[in-house]
Order: sequence, then C-alpha cells, then structure tokens
Amino acid sequence: MNPTFFDREWNLPELLDAAALERIGPALAQMLGGNVAIFAADGAVLWGQAEPEARREALVLELEAIGFLSSSTADPFALHGARHLLQTLLGAESRYKMASSLHLEATAEDYQALQRGHARLLESEARYKALAESLEEKVAEQVDLLDRRQNQLFQAAKLASVGQLAAGVAHEINNPLGFIRSNLGTLGNYVHRLQQYRVSLDSCPPSWSTLDLDFALRDATDILKECETGIVRIASIVRDLKFFSSVDRAEEEVVDLNESLRQAFSILQGQLPPGIQIRLVLLPLPTLRCQCGHLNQAFLGILRNGIQAIVDAKRPGEVVIRSEADDECVTLRFQDNGVGMTPEEVQRVFEPFYTTREIGVGTGLGLSSARSAVLAHRGNIFVTSQPDGGATVTITLPLS
Amino acid sequence: MPDQSDGRLTFKLVYYGPAQGGKTTNLLRLHDALSPEMLGEIQMLETQNDRTLFFDLLPLGFRAPSGLLIKFRLFTVPGQVAHDGTRKAVLSRADGIVFVADSDRRQETNNAESFQGLVENCSRVGLDFENTPLVVQFNKRDLPSAVPEAEICARWSATPWPLLFASALTGEQVVESFEALLRVLYRRFAGEFSLMATHGLDEDAFVRSALGCP
Repeated sequence: MNPTFFDREWNLPELLDAAALERIGPALAQMLGGNVAIFAADGAVLWGQAEPEARREALVLELEAIGFLSSSTADPFALHGARHLLQTLLGAESRYKMASSLHLEATAEDYQALQRGHARLLESEARYKALAESLEEKVAEQVDLLDRRQNQLFQAAKLASVGQLAAGVAHEINNPLGFIRSNLGTLGNYVHRLQQYRVSLDSCPPSWSTLDLDFALRDATDILKECETGIVRIASIVRDLKFFSSVDRAEEEVVDLNESLRQAFSILQGQLPPGIQIRLVLLPLPTLRCQCGHLNQAFLGILRNGIQAIVDAKRPGEVVIRSEADDECVTLRFQDNGVGMTPEEVQRVFEPFYTTREIGVGTGLGLSSARSAVLAHRGNIFVTSQPDGGATVTITLPLS
Repeated sequence: MPDQSDGRLTFKLVYYGPAQGGKTTNLLRLHDALSPEMLGEIQMLETQNDRTLFFDLLPLGFRAPSGLLIKFRLFTVPGQVAHDGTRKAVLSRADGIVFVADSDRRQETNNAESFQGLVENCSRVGLDFENTPLVVQFNKRDLPSAVPEAEICARWSATPWPLLFASALTGEQVVESFEALLRVLYRRFAGEFSLMATHGLDEDAFVRSALGCP
C-alpha cells in the first residue's frame, strides 16, 4: 500500500519518532523503576536497554501488536499500566497522523476538484468566446450582405431611372423623326416634280437662270439625300438607346451575348478618341437567358473604362473584346493596353465610387455596377492588371 | 483491491451515504453486537456537534484456519455535502460499500444525490463501481415519516444490490446489513485470494468468523 495513504498500517517508529522516544523513554524508566525498553514489531530496540530477563508486554494498535514494552525492574501491574498509557499515547498519535494524512489527501482532492471546475470554466469561457467571435463574424457577414443588397438596389434604381429617361427621350425623338422622315420624302417628290417640269420646258425664263435654279434643284436632291442619311443615323442611335434602356424591364430574355457586345461596340465606335480602337474577337456562343439590359450596361461600363485607361496612357491603343464558351459557361474578356493598375487599385476596383481619375471624369460606378450585374447572374468577374501593363476584365456567366 | 501482506488480508469497507443517515450509529451498533476473535475500539476522528468531520474507524478481524489474519476496517465517510474531498479520500481503495440511505421521505433527494455522488466519486478515485461489492441499507425504519418498504422495493428491485431495511438506533438489521456485505465480499474476492483452497474458509465460515457467532 502506498506509504502516503492515511489508511495504511502505521508502525511504531512512525508513531514514535526519536524525539518523542527521548521524551517518553526517561519518564517510563522513572515510572518503572529504572529499566525500560521499547521494541518495534520486528523486535528491534527503539529505545532503552533490553534485558534478557525482562517482562514484556505487546503494544496493540487496532488489532495487532505493533511493538513491545519491556522492563526488568517493574512489577507486572506497573508494566501493565505503563503499557496502557503508552497504547493510549500511540492511539492518539495514530489518530493525529491519520487525520493529518487524510486532510492532505482531501485537500489534494479538493484542489483537483477545483482544477476540474476551473478547466470546465475555461472550456465554457472559450466556448462563449468562440460564440461571441463567430457572432461578430455573422453580424459582419449580414451587414456586408445588406450593404451589397443596398448597393444593388441603388444600382438598380439608378439604372432604372437612366433607362426610363432613355426610353422617354427615344420615344420623344421617334415622333418628330417620323414626321421629318415622311415630310422629307414628300419634299423629295416635290423636288422631283419640279425637275420634271424643268425638263418639259424648252427654254427657261430668264429669271430661272438668274436665280440659278438648275443648281438649286440638283443641290436640293443632294441635301435631301444627306438628310435621309442623317435621319437613318438618328434612328439607329435611338434604336440603340432603346435597346440599352431595356434596363427598366426586369424580365429575362434569351440572347446571344455576342449581339450585345456588337451593340456596345457600335455605340462606342462613333465616340472613340483618335488613335484608339475596339476590336472584336468573338467565337460562337450558345444563347443565354439573362437580363440583358443590365449586362449591356456592364459591358459599356467596362469598355468605357478600358478606353479611358488608354486615354490616360496618352498613346494609341486598343480594347480587345473576346468571347468564348464551354459546356458550363460563357467567358468574356475585355483587354486594354492602357495605364493598368497597382495591386492595391485592383483590390478596390469594384468598390462603389472608387475611382483613380479626376473628379468629374469618372463616376466610380462603372465596374461596381458591372459586378452587381454579373453577380446577379451568378457569374464571376475579376480584374488582372499591372501598372503600365493594361488591364483585363474577365466575366464568366454560367449557362444554367 | 484488498491489501495482502505480512500474513494478513485487510478489507477496507466504507459506510457511505447522506448526512445524518446513521453511518456512525451503524458502526457503534456493530461494535456492541459483534464478537469476532479480534475487535478494536471505534476511533472517531474529530466530530463537530456529533457530526463526523473526518471518519470513524472500527477494526475487527479473525484468523483463518491457515493462520492468515483477516482484517476488516470499517470506515464511515462524512456525509455533509461540504466534505466531498474528505469523502473521496476515505472512499479511496474501498473493497466494499454499505450505502446507508435515510428512509425519511424528506431525505429522498439527498439520498439520490448522495448515491449519484458515490457513483461519480468511485470513478474519480479509480474504483470500478460495477464490480465493487455494494449493499444498500435503508435506515431509520423507526421513523413515522419513513417511505414504505413496498415503495422502496419497487424502486430498487431492478438493481443488483442487496436491499436491507434497518434501524440503526435500535440495532435492527444492522448486523444483517454487514453480513450481506460480507457475503458479496466473499463471492467477489474468495477466488482471487484463494480463501477456500488455501485458507480453509467457505462463505459461511468467513461470515460467522467475522460476525463472531458460534
């Protein structure tokens, strides 16, 4: 049995150490007439002088003898009495020792219980801490989601109002355009009749030549032709405008995105600064169900951005539009060879109102609204760029 | 595991239970009622208002025909909730347990909590509760507010432990409770310590010698 346990069998040398024997021994010797000896259970003399003729009594603790007391000078009664006295002393000593050992064990046990409690506390604290942390994360996530939704709403509202304006303008222009075109046709007929009348005359009145009406009639035909061309152009611009103003219609359509890219190309074609061109490298695409008004706006925004980047570089350049598709998605790339961006700028490029340009030049909304449109289609958009190395915006849109 | 050394085999038996359930009284009655070959004095280690602070200890024993000294050390634990550390230390290394429950109806919760504590403490001090000899004694049958036997039996009959109804105050069934534990103890350890083959002790001899009946 482990020697530190309180409930072990205590032996005599443990209960009576040398100092105790030094106190007890002489007193016992005096009581017992001079000779006394105290033995351990194994017979070893712990204190005093062992005489071969001495009387001997067992010192019993609990049930068994743990030692002996002997005296050659004491009478039996005195020895018996002394033995009881010593046993009482040993009993008290063993109780004291058991109690203090038990106290140590209990204290250690209490301490361990405390530590277990402490460990449980730490554990639950850690759990709550983790919970609190994840709560913060969750809140941040929700706030972020709200921000994005709000941004999308803002974009949608903005696009919708731009779309309404564009649709209204297109409608208002179409009406006068209609009667101008029809009137010009009628006017052309009138001019034609005048020309026929001139042919039917054998000789012109002098005033005809004075007013140089031959030239006027010829020129009128040319002017009318030019007007016709102008009107066709206005009509095409209005058509494009209407196409892009379809943003206020949220319904989805099935479209070929190459068509949208060509439209964007033709809108910008007339506005390109000198030395800058747009090149289309389009591979056949499957049709895609999408809100194409939003995507058209996105393409325009990205292209304008690319053109501006080339302008900023103050050199000739081009924006190449590439399209391709695989079984899963359509991939569109808009690559310019303009000023490019630093990694920090690339990081922030989709933030609303983030712009590297002078105030008034860009709204800082082009790419962020493009991103909203692409994300609304469960697509992906990202920018790669290097300073002075141009930038490439890549959009992937899932087919299903 | 009983301690076997120097020609003696020592069983540590622990009386466990809720505060003021009569554990010390059980020991006092046993001391008066038993007459084994060797019977020591009850040692009461520190009490406060008659309530055990550390433990009580009653040693008794006999010699087997082989000469082996078989010793029983009966301990009580302090029942008060506050002394759980001491309770665990006393319970450590127990070879058998008498769970002394209080029959008073108002003590039902304390009984349950104490028994739960016994199970938990056994595992904390490294005792295999399932395989430790255990006897359940419902004490204080003399109380008018005692829960009827039938009700207690209904609740405990499914358990594997001997169930006894005692009144330590009058000494009723106290010896029988101890005897019940001795029998479970013998069955649990006889083979391991070769009590029959080497030491010439069958169960009845073992019990009779410990109780001191002729």
